Amino acid sequence: MTPPEMDQGVLGRIEASLPALRRYAIALLRNRDDADDLVHDCVVRALDKLHTRRDDADVRAWLFTIMHNLFVSQLRRKRVRPVAEPLEERHEDAHAAEAGQDGPLRWRDLMRALAQLPEEQRSVLLLVSVEDLSYAETATVLDVPIGTVMSRLSRARERLRQLTDGERPPLRRVK
Amino acid sequence: MTAPRPSDAELHAFVDGQASAAQRAAVQSHLAADPEDAARVAAWQAQRDALRAAFAELADEDLPARLTLAAVLQERRRRPHVAWSAIAAAAVLAFGIGGAGGWMLRGRTEAPAGMRALAREAMANHAVYAADRRRPTELGADQRDDLARWVSNRMNHTVAPPDLSAEGFQFMGGRLAATAQGPAGMFMYQNAAGMRMTVFVQPDPNARSSGPMTITGPSLDSCVWSDRGMSTAVVAPMPADKLRALAEQVRRALES
Repeated sequence: MTPPEMDQGVLGRIEASLPALRRYAIALLRNRDDADDLVHDCVVRALDKLHTRRDDADVRAWLFTIMHNLFVSQLRRKRVRPVAEPLEERHEDAHAAEAGQDGPLRWRDLMRALAQLPEEQRSVLLLVSVEDLSYAETATVLDVPIGTVMSRLSRARERLRQLTDGERPPLRRVK
Repeated sequence: MTAPRPSDAELHAFVDGQASAAQRAAVQSHLAADPEDAARVAAWQAQRDALRAAFAELADEDLPARLTLAAVLQERRRRPHVAWSAIAAAAVLAFGIGGAGGWMLRGRTEAPAGMRALAREAMANHAVYAADRRRPTELGADQRDDLARWVSNRMNHTVAPPDLSAEGFQFMGGRLAATAQGPAGMFMYQNAAGMRMTVFVQPDPNARSSGPMTITGPSLDSCVWSDRGMSTAVVAPMPADKLRALAEQVRRALES
């Protein structure tokens, strides 16, 4: 008798996933208002589609998939790119103080480097490193083969390593 | 014998904790012998830790009020307001509502306009939701208390779904319904034969208490009455006299 969308198991899992979804949205869009809109649309869409789910498995990956698809279609529709700025520079000092300036990776450098990655590499890096999705789940979310996930992850990490390597002088522009 | 060099994918899996025990052991012994790969892996590991630390606090923030699941669910429940035109269209199909015709009052006295309006809304909602095999209710029978609280809060009037099992009708659940007069509560029941019956309640401080009146639509009857500031309509596809008798039982159950 209970409509499927009222299933407490799924609802509970959706609720538990909201902070991580929002975090990923903020990292993708680097703008809290846009991110909140995206999360909101994602939850609405998920509730609409809830009755199509046969079980409670992988609610997290399922939500990330919905959100990623919304994100991609938003990009296509609006033809806008997320701002190519590091996330939340205003918190930088607090972070720097917390992490210690001589840590292996300074927060400011890390965020700058992350902002410079191509979108597709940043998504993989965040889903795997921060959101703890398995490679297979990441492949599902992004709708690419797992080999593509691995190569994007590899390129993202190598690029990030170059960008945050303090010893290396920045690449000189040829004039 | 030298073990084959682990692939980059295996090195990443090692960093991300996604390697099998065997892979992990192989990577560890490889890194012990290959300082260059060891440096790469250490750098990836440091990146991963730094990213997690950098984003950790974002997930600890309180969600904005509109992003809580409760808020989104609540918003969805209000959708019938938005989808009013669809309900109205269904009502036109089901009852020929739209013109003044198609409605007649059975009995001598004309029912107050408010009661007729309530009956109309009750029948329109019954037509839309009772016919829905997949999702007739928004909250199920197991969420009776949540439903009562929700409906009561939105109507600003305490009400609970009556128990009609003695009449052979099992409570299925219900929802908040939209009417031109504001929110109403809809409780749905089903008997052993699969017949669905709805009890539609709406506060009406101006209504005088009045006994059940049958209001007839082209294909369905409704029995309506008012009691202590609350108007109720019962709708079920059954003969008017049986509906009337059932309505009396519903009224008694609501009073108890």
